[in-house]
Amino acid sequence: MNDAAQQSVTVWPLVLFFASAMGLVGLMIGLSSILGGRHNEKLGNEPFESGIRPTGSAHRRFSVQFYLVAIIFVLFDLEVVFVFSYAIAAPALGWAGYGAFIFFLGMITLGLIYEWRIGALNWAPKAPRQMRLEAIEINRARNLRGESTIDAGANHSPTLDQS
Amino acid sequence: MQIVAILAPLIVTATIVLTIGAVAFTRSHRIMAGLSSTGLVLALLGLIPASITVPIQVTPLYIVDGFGLFYMALILIAALISAILAYAYFETQSDYRAEFYILLLCATLGALSLVVCSHLASLFIGIELVSVPLYGMVAYAYRDSVSLESGLKYMILSGVASAFFLFGMALMFAASGSLTFTHIGQNPGGSQLLLLGVGMLVVGLAFKLSIAPFHLWTPDVYQGAPGPASTFLATVSKVAIFAALLRFFQTSPVAQNAWLHVLIIALAFISMLVGNLLALRQNNLKRLLGYSSIAHLGYILTAIAAGGPLAATAVGVYFAVYILTSLGAFGVVSVVSSPFTGTEASDLSNYRGLFRHQPTLAVTLAVMMISLAGIPITFGFIGKFYALLVAVNSGLWWLVAALIIGSAMGLYYYLRVTFILFGAYEGDAQKSLTESSSRTAIMALSLLAALVIALGIYPTPLIDLVNVAGIAVPA
Repeated sequence: MNDAAQQSVTVWPLVLFFASAMGLVGLMIGLSSILGGRHNEKLGNEPFESGIRPTGSAHRRFSVQFYLVAIIFVLFDLEVVFVFSYAIAAPALGWAGYGAFIFFLGMITLGLIYEWRIGALNWAPKAPRQMRLEAIEINRARNLRGESTIDAGANHSPTLDQS
Repeated sequence: MQIVAILAPLIVTATIVLTIGAVAFTRSHRIMAGLSSTGLVLALLGLIPASITVPIQVTPLYIVDGFGLFYMALILIAALISAILAYAYFETQSDYRAEFYILLLCATLGALSLVVCSHLASLFIGIELVSVPLYGMVAYAYRDSVSLESGLKYMILSGVASAFFLFGMALMFAASGSLTFTHIGQNPGGSQLLLLGVGMLVVGLAFKLSIAPFHLWTPDVYQGAPGPASTFLATVSKVAIFAALLRFFQTSPVAQNAWLHVLIIALAFISMLVGNLLALRQNNLKRLLGYSSIAHLGYILTAIAAGGPLAATAVGVYFAVYILTSLGAFGVVSVVSSPFTGTEASDLSNYRGLFRHQPTLAVTLAVMMISLAGIPITFGFIGKFYALLVAVNSGLWWLVAALIIGSAMGLYYYLRVTFILFGAYEGDAQKSLTESSSRTAIMALSLLAALVIALGIYPTPLIDLVNVAGIAVPA
């Protein structure tokens, strides 16, 4: 009805935009694949024809520590967003707002203390004593068993369950 | 007045702050478990002064009423039992035990806020606050790849369900210009958009509740999660989300829609049949309980489909049944198995002849199974009776048929477990359960079994309580 008519009026530029965007991209890729020449050479298929040769795979393993650092960074970085938005409205919010904000900062600080105490801020955290002892045990067992068990150990150390 | 009304969630919040502070300085398992269970008990006591103030609107987001307080009590009891089970379960683990209690408390806080929400925004915050700590809890036995796998499955699928939920919220806001339950569907415009939105909301909630076409994650996650986490997932998160769904359907004008009514009936019908059929040939007790929870959610959904004043009573009674029996059943599994002293003992063969060496646990599990099957003199019978009553009262004969067929199928697999418990014992030496932590858990579980039988014989006090705890409709 009226509602539907109004909707179609506001929607058609979006549809047009979508269609023209798809059309333009399709035209660019389609034309160049039809008109452009094709050559199948060893170096020609590499990502950077004139740059450094790619080595290895992108699926590399890297230290889980990077992930932890990234997460902590995002957490405390997001806090700044709240600080800024509070700063804009600080006079209007008055003392009640100040109290609430101090509470929020206190919680963040508590989180920081927690992370500090569990060793998340150290690049090579000191594991709890029990875990260190277990790790030594696992390494010893692995070394004793030799090369053949490395795959099983890398997956999920089954020795833990037996101990 | 408003502060008194939300005393219980405030106490839980304070406990969370306290436990995070404490864990930075001491990692004593006993202190953490003690601190969190004390907080939960205090929150339970905090419901008593709150009951004088209800019903009261606390900010536009929450409405605290008798209904909310009743479900808060159920949630706090379930969380307390989960904490006791966790104490027994993680006692033998050597590292990082304390964080489980923080996650458990956070999820409990989310559940507490869910049962009193009157606004889609608070509903979403509550659901996320329940779900996000649960990812961690499900994957908590992280050295066991099964636990990690189930945590990952739950996280990804749950994220998809949340996306559905959010999109539904956006559509409903577009159609009705408000996110308050009582305003959605009030004005007649944009009804198709509104129905699409409600449909997506139902998809998101049905996923979290593992109602039948959205149930596929349930058995895997229940099986892989550590015992106390499965217990929490099967009780607290289910109750909280279902209470929010019930409040939405009872207070929002959009729920009057006939099409939505058919949708709920179809979901209930499919859940009852699928859950029971899939449970028939299960040999893993945790998976069996997962499928049976799908069927039980179908029974409870019958009450929502029926609607009317009796529906809230039926849901309340059935959820009290479901909570007590699920806590007991999952609790026994959790006590019997601890992955840090061996593999998780959830296969039915692990329970063959349990009565010979752990008579208390075996009798508890048997009582819970009989109650889940709905046999008289247990509380389960009362719950099933109420579900049948509301279905017959509103003439939903398809659902009545599914309920009867489902219960008949249920008898087979529940009683099969019971027979196995009392069968001949032929296993090797089991985990010794003489530690004090396990003894506390066993004591709590046998108390639950006694309660299930006592309420089965004399259910009047609980039914009265549920009848008093009505949903308040804000003006």
